[in-house]
Amino acid sequence: MKLYRVLAVTKRVFSDMRNDKRTLGLIFLAPILAMTVFGLAFSGDVEDVNVIIVNHDEGFTVPGRDFTSLSDEIISNLDGKTVNLQYMNNEDEALGKVENGKAYAVIIFPDKFTEDVYKNAVNPNSSETTDITIKADESIVNVKNAIYGTLADALTTTMDNEGFKSPININEDPVYGKDAEFIDFFVPGIMAFVVYLLTTLLTLISFVGERVSGTLERILATPVTEGEIVAGYGIAFSIVGTIQAAILLAVGILAFDIIIVGNVLLAFLAIALLAIVCQSLGILLSSLANRVEQAIQFIPFVVLPAFLLSGIFWPVEAIPQWLRLLSYLVPPTYAANASRAVMLKGWGLDMIWTDIVALILFAVAFIAIAIWSLKRKKG
Amino acid sequence: MDYAIKTSSLVKIFEDFTAVNNLNLQVQKGEIYGLLGPNGAGKTTTIKILSGLLTPTSGEAYVLGNRIPDKKIASTIGYMPQETALYIGLTVHQNMEFYAKLFGIKKSEIKEKEKHLLEFVDLYDWRNELVHNLSGGMKHRASLACTLIHNPPVLFLDEPTVGVDPELRISFWNYFNKLKEEGITILITTHYMDEARRCDRVGFMNQGKLIAESTPEELLIKAGTDSLEDAFLEFSRRQKNEAL
Repeated sequence: MKLYRVLAVTKRVFSDMRNDKRTLGLIFLAPILAMTVFGLAFSGDVEDVNVIIVNHDEGFTVPGRDFTSLSDEIISNLDGKTVNLQYMNNEDEALGKVENGKAYAVIIFPDKFTEDVYKNAVNPNSSETTDITIKADESIVNVKNAIYGTLADALTTTMDNEGFKSPININEDPVYGKDAEFIDFFVPGIMAFVVYLLTTLLTLISFVGERVSGTLERILATPVTEGEIVAGYGIAFSIVGTIQAAILLAVGILAFDIIIVGNVLLAFLAIALLAIVCQSLGILLSSLANRVEQAIQFIPFVVLPAFLLSGIFWPVEAIPQWLRLLSYLVPPTYAANASRAVMLKGWGLDMIWTDIVALILFAVAFIAIAIWSLKRKKG
Repeated sequence: MDYAIKTSSLVKIFEDFTAVNNLNLQVQKGEIYGLLGPNGAGKTTTIKILSGLLTPTSGEAYVLGNRIPDKKIASTIGYMPQETALYIGLTVHQNMEFYAKLFGIKKSEIKEKEKHLLEFVDLYDWRNELVHNLSGGMKHRASLACTLIHNPPVLFLDEPTVGVDPELRISFWNYFNKLKEEGITILITTHYMDEARRCDRVGFMNQGKLIAESTPEELLIKAGTDSLEDAFLEFSRRQKNEAL
């Protein structure tokens, strides 16, 4: 293997990109676009959910204290960002609004609400409970969780204020991810996904082009070897992948204030290795296509497994156990895992080395198969 | 005799199709040898085997004394494929530079060589144009320039003049003759009979076999015809009769 020939291939790939404004745009704009779109869509919590309050609570005057209405207090503690409150008196009418999609939930306080709460509270032997009824459209899980969560928070705040101490208190003391939001979990995944997708597609398309135009054959009649070609492509695309990851992070930091506690360079290492795996995969897939149009048909097969199985958008733990085995066969899993651990938890190489080794093994295996697929044609 | 190219009992079988069938070819150093034959006769397959792109099923082939396939010969051959086979997203200059680098040519030499070759194929003013924007004939000229970038002593030219206008074809041939004078061996495939007459020797290929081989003049005498076209038909008729 001669380095100057490898670098000649690398330079050729770069010249090709530089001459083609569309490819160049794809390379630089895709990470910006991906980060912005995903960032905007997922950084926000659920907001502005229409909720109807039907409050029958008559209030109660506790002996020795002022007249109070606990329900009013709970309602005033509901997070106004999450829910848009609307008040009605008729339960059926309110329910009708949920049924025809004008609102997501009706929260009903019974007439003796405040009174019952106090009576149960002062009587430790009481086995009575007081009910708040929620009739909700639970078809959207996120919305449902937001409603229940908001109500639970309001309930806790109100009870604390009124001096009803819960005997059990959960003390939150984060080990990792203090102040982390969903977007912070997301960014390493988007990074791995964008690099995975673009690298595979770009090599696939550019290599099918080499096959169709005859340039691949022509250069194989020169001293350059199959291994040198794959290596040249590998260097080019690992650089491109790292640049893309850097752009994506820059947008994440500037626009979405994402948290990075670890050494970003380690995350880039994982992404660069992923890019090397992907360019070999692209070369490999190109041997199955005779035309560029055929190569396009592979896109779903490239996108879906990574999208669904690699823990990019939800943790691998959320995937059924029998399917999880497949997750470990999809290379972006390791890149997402490693960069997530580095960026969110600040882990070092000593902790993420298994992911890095896995990526290196994938790279070696895919490069070997890609070279084999190039040599096979000599038949 | 010192052969630049020599094959003995060369066979190439693709799955169930025999492309090259027991080919014995000898091309002397400094000779222009033309392979003639219809489509599917095995000309391109032969050139691809000699360029190291295909592994023969059986038989032997030597280029400059090296048994192929052998990557060692790559720097001594210039292979010009039938398709233009240039990077259409690169400029003419970038293509030339890339091929030059694959051969390890020094940067200082590349510029001079490139200028010389591009002036010869009349593309020097177009060197910074994307290949994509060139006409078919220009692409062919650029392709020839890329083939010659490393001064190869042996040239494999697969239908190099298809789509090239008559005037340029003549200048191509003048250049081939000039290369021949420098001692360069050229194996060329062509459909044009007038080009075949310019070769030192011509081999008629049919169904993977060499059915006749000699100087153009002798082939005409042997076949008793006026044109090489008729001569080819005559020899393939004789081949059929022999088979019966």
